[in-house]
Amino acid sequence: MNHQELIIKLQQGDDSAFAMLVEENQDMVYNTALVIVQNADDADDITQEVFIQAYQSISSFKSGSKLSTWLYCITVNKTLDYKKKMNRKKRLGFVQSLFGAHTNEEVRLIVFDHPGLQLEKKESAAVLFNALKQIPYRQRIAFTLHKIEGQSYQEIAEIMKTTLPSVEALMSRAKVNLKNKLSNYYIQ
Amino acid sequence: MNQNKRINVLINEALNSVDNINRGSPKPFLLTRIYARMNHQTESIWEKIGWFIGRPAIAFLSLCIFLVINVLVLVLNKTSAQTMPIEQITQTPADEFSYTVATIYDLENTQP
Repeated sequence: MNHQELIIKLQQGDDSAFAMLVEENQDMVYNTALVIVQNADDADDITQEVFIQAYQSISSFKSGSKLSTWLYCITVNKTLDYKKKMNRKKRLGFVQSLFGAHTNEEVRLIVFDHPGLQLEKKESAAVLFNALKQIPYRQRIAFTLHKIEGQSYQEIAEIMKTTLPSVEALMSRAKVNLKNKLSNYYIQ
Repeated sequence: MNQNKRINVLINEALNSVDNINRGSPKPFLLTRIYARMNHQTESIWEKIGWFIGRPAIAFLSLCIFLVINVLVLVLNKTSAQTMPIEQITQTPADEFSYTVATIYDLENTQP
């Protein structure tokens, strides 16, 4: 089944076409979400939400664009929703702490360990992922899409619905910020 | 000098550590879990209301409206409290010169 046939069948609500879409793209979606949110369970949740959204809004898919770009776009939006949800939880936790209530939220101090890393690079990558967590969210997304997922700047601009110069600026700032964070870490 | 060089090497090592990284995979039976979630995704009206109220902009706006109503009530109460004594002052002479009060004359000269 080629790309066009798959889209037509998806738009007709074909279950086997949807199963194929999930099978072919699940690692791509999961990996992107995993690096951005740095939590396996949350990344799994986001992956499910991405495919549900894809299933529900396949009719709005423009035949001229790439299916992978469209899925990346949904993934990025879902990770942004996740961040908003986390911020809401933080605010709620703060308000509850003011009234002396104990929240059940565990403090996540666990060092993120990506399952696809080579053993000898695990230590350096853990430092990089920790630094990645500290830079602004849009820079983190741009860096992940380029460095981990191998997307070109033009594709990132399409995914993030922005212009090429702004992606270049985002990447440049991301690299500077990461270098500063890493430098601070290694000096200590 | 050597220290800076060593730090630069470590930074480049960290930045390049994710090159050729393999993709992670989600937990097994993703498709089954997606279908299960789709079947469960009938959001109730209360969940939608909760989500709407929980938005920071809405929460902040509600708080502002609440504060404005409180200030208005306070101001209105203050102005009505100021007008009350004036009413009392005007009422007092009327009470004092009331013709409804029975006098001794009225009480002593009762008609047979």
